[in-house]
Amino acid sequence: MATALQLLLNGVALGAAYALVALGFVLVLNATSAVNFAQGDLVMAGGLLAVALAPLIPLPGIVLLPVVLALMAGLGLLLAAAAYLPLRRRPPVSVFISTIAVGIILQNGASVLFGPEPRVAPPLFGDGIWRIGGVAVAEQSVAIVAVAALLIGAQQWVFGRTQLGRRLRATAQDPEMARACGVPVTAMILTTFAIGAACAGAAGLLLANRYFVTPTAGGDLILKAYIAVTVGGWGSVPGAVAGALLIALFEVGVSSVLSYPAALGALYATLLVILVVRPQGLFGEAVRRRA
Amino acid sequence: MRRAAFLALGFLAALPARAETLSFPVLVPLTGFLSLEGTSQRNGAVLALTEAAAKTEVIDTGTSPEAAVTALERAAGNGNVGAVAASMLGTQMLAMLPLAAELKLPLVTVSGTASITEQGNPWVFRFFPGDAVTKTAHARYVVEELGRKRPALIYQTTAYGQSGKAHLEPAFKALGAELVFEEGVDPAAKDLLPVLTKALAAKPDVLVLHLHSGPTALLLKQAAASGVTLPIVAGSAMHQPSTAALLEPVELKGVCAETAASPISGGSPGMDAFTASYRAAFGKEPDAFALGQYDGMRMVLAAVRDGATTADDIRKALAGGSHAGLAMTYKSDGKGNMAHSAVIVCYDGTSRVPALVKRYDDVAGVVK
Repeated sequence: MATALQLLLNGVALGAAYALVALGFVLVLNATSAVNFAQGDLVMAGGLLAVALAPLIPLPGIVLLPVVLALMAGLGLLLAAAAYLPLRRRPPVSVFISTIAVGIILQNGASVLFGPEPRVAPPLFGDGIWRIGGVAVAEQSVAIVAVAALLIGAQQWVFGRTQLGRRLRATAQDPEMARACGVPVTAMILTTFAIGAACAGAAGLLLANRYFVTPTAGGDLILKAYIAVTVGGWGSVPGAVAGALLIALFEVGVSSVLSYPAALGALYATLLVILVVRPQGLFGEAVRRRA
Repeated sequence: MRRAAFLALGFLAALPARAETLSFPVLVPLTGFLSLEGTSQRNGAVLALTEAAAKTEVIDTGTSPEAAVTALERAAGNGNVGAVAASMLGTQMLAMLPLAAELKLPLVTVSGTASITEQGNPWVFRFFPGDAVTKTAHARYVVEELGRKRPALIYQTTAYGQSGKAHLEPAFKALGAELVFEEGVDPAAKDLLPVLTKALAAKPDVLVLHLHSGPTALLLKQAAASGVTLPIVAGSAMHQPSTAALLEPVELKGVCAETAASPISGGSPGMDAFTASYRAAFGKEPDAFALGQYDGMRMVLAAVRDGATTADDIRKALAGGSHAGLAMTYKSDGKGNMAHSAVIVCYDGTSRVPALVKRYDDVAGVVK
């Protein structure tokens, strides 16, 4: 029982971090209809940024978090200016390629700046472990879940309850109509990239403490984000979160019964079944349905 | 046409030349999944060549065989090449070997892939013990020194991990120990608690790891958090200072690892001098890959100092001579395997510097 609870806790913490990765991915997807293949490398950049800032700000990670969010938002703006805006009237494949290029630049830049060694970021509050009834509850695991829930909730509030959110949603749904109604579409797209990169930064900081970070870590994370969004529903924020939790369920839960390679195989088999039975994903595809 | 031009330049490179005009290109993976080990390899080679004021250039081979072949062609076209410090990535070595034979250029590597010295190619020299040596030492330490007979093996699903597993299984069997659990883990796995839980459920008396750097640290961290008290004997990735840096010293208590050498553990004035020079030059701690490549290039430079003026002279010196390096004494087994020793290092839980606890020389393992 204790083992099952332990695995559940680990799975939820991992899923929460994956959800933040997928969230940034789906935001940009909704706003631009473009797949940002640099999202995984932005997560890696966020993790290494936290590693670099830690000696400069020798305080718990929670103090670093706002700094990482702000700097990563700036990087998101640069990404939009360099890899999206000049190509937005070109076929979508142009943006695919430009974001892949940015990802490679980030990866190699990180290798040059930080070296290839795995690094560990500071914990959000502390790296202690609470032992509750035979279950080892890592402070960082609780912090990951809390911060992910907070950021996802804040994002839902901004998108659902504020004028900025309405403008962002209008831009995502129909940029031409939004522009005709006076919405500054380009500014909204830039804002979306900034929020998406900030989410990546938060995920990077959270992941880099428990699971370390290397310059090549982004490739695997973008694959996870892509699967999460496909499973959850192309463009659905709740779907991305559900998809991320499903991946963690397979990686932690299923692999505790089957082997890890078999669990991954089962995950991809499940993905195929979902694509066949419910091609729009578990939570549908809100933008396309409206269109 | 391009290939022919490169070959022609390569043959020119192989012509007799004054030793001091020979160059020693360093073609190693500095980007991609093997960049950590590749950077160590580069640093070891560059340190040896810099100390001897030898001519060199560094080319990043990435991780594709094509990039390695192109790098070798490019290096051969750039001057009188004496020997090449060549990639530790086995697939790249296998791709470079035919070209090295055509160009008649010795490849000096620390690649652990067994098959590179099984091709009948006289131009390859490996200055790092292969799995046949290290895994035999690994298993012997577990059984003979720790007295454990029920090992649980957790290995990586990569070629590196599969090779280690393939050598550990028969090594344990030969020593009268049966694996009670074995499972491969993808290097991208973020949470290793599931595999650790299953391994412990098999009631082993020792955990044997053969994982890359990050996963090794991840598993040890989770083992410490879970209160695991079994002895853990890890693969060579554990000895890398960058792996230990991911863990608190207390999380390393009771952990041992096999490796070719552990420069930061000291052991001789020469080793201490190497470690100091390495830190001064690169601002980081050296590992066994750096030391193996350093020793290999030092043997090449010794051959030049002793009169070798061509790549073929250097090949003959490597194939027929022996060299007292810092890690061990190197001598070819006729196939280019120069390293036949391994050591076991252990952490005491108070620092990230391991102590050398056992040395295995002239190990004869089974080449898979």
